[in-house]
Amino acid sequence: MTERTARDLAARRGVETNVYQPAEDSGLLADAIEKRGRGRLLEVGTGSGWVAARAAREVPDVSSVVASDLSPHACRAARRRAVEGGPEEAGVSDSTGDRTEPDGSGSLFDVVRANLVSPFADDAFDTVAFNPPYLPTDPENEWDDWMERALSGGESGQELIDPFLEAVGRVLAPGGVGLLLVSSLTGYDAVLDRVDACGFDHEVVVEESYPFESLSVLALTATGGSSQ
Amino acid sequence: MKESLMDILCDPLDKSDLELEVDERDGEEIIEGRLIGTVTGEVYPIEDGIPNLLPPDMRDEE
Repeated sequence: MTERTARDLAARRGVETNVYQPAEDSGLLADAIEKRGRGRLLEVGTGSGWVAARAAREVPDVSSVVASDLSPHACRAARRRAVEGGPEEAGVSDSTGDRTEPDGSGSLFDVVRANLVSPFADDAFDTVAFNPPYLPTDPENEWDDWMERALSGGESGQELIDPFLEAVGRVLAPGGVGLLLVSSLTGYDAVLDRVDACGFDHEVVVEESYPFESLSVLALTATGGSSQ
Repeated sequence: MKESLMDILCDPLDKSDLELEVDERDGEEIIEGRLIGTVTGEVYPIEDGIPNLLPPDMRDEE
């Protein structure tokens, strides 16, 4: 999605504009988690926490969820969602959502303020999902607030993707899978080169085309390892 | 954060273990407290149930 549509969407919903709200890319990442997520799952850059909530609530193979974000605003929004319940957009009754603690003392998932995967232990997760800020942004046009940081992938669009690919292998358990959302706006081939260079095999789990971009979620598994 | 999260958290500076100090809890949930690097001595606050595990040089931005 483009930064303009993100802001329009936020304005239309009358929500604060410093936390990225669920959009097409969020839905696609959640679909990929439904297909491939299992065990203990980390969502990096969770934003509003919508994807993490769906994973915690609706994916039986996922046993527990941790959501992290760099932004304090996103962490607070995600924490509210973790405590209060699931993806409210679903607009359906709660029959599948019985994993919330009934007395409100627990939460659907844990929220950690973090830079990518840096405070997580080696081999901690079976699944790590990431919808990175991916819009290529001219340095002179960066507007330097939390929403900008939720959207912009720097000049190349890849500024957060590279460090993620370099670090994620450490926190994935043997046989674990990374789920990375890639937009054609970032440059699909450039990302695939990095995926390869960082020692991962990939396959496309879900993909979707829109007028201005196409989105894919790649499943990343350590080269030579098995994913299931 | 749930106390069980301690199993998978580490000090972002050197990946060493963290020690938990609790000021307020609600069942399994730690609401207020801090995580302390057992090697670095760095203190990471837990506020409103959210541990802030950014390295110290990234922590102040709001």
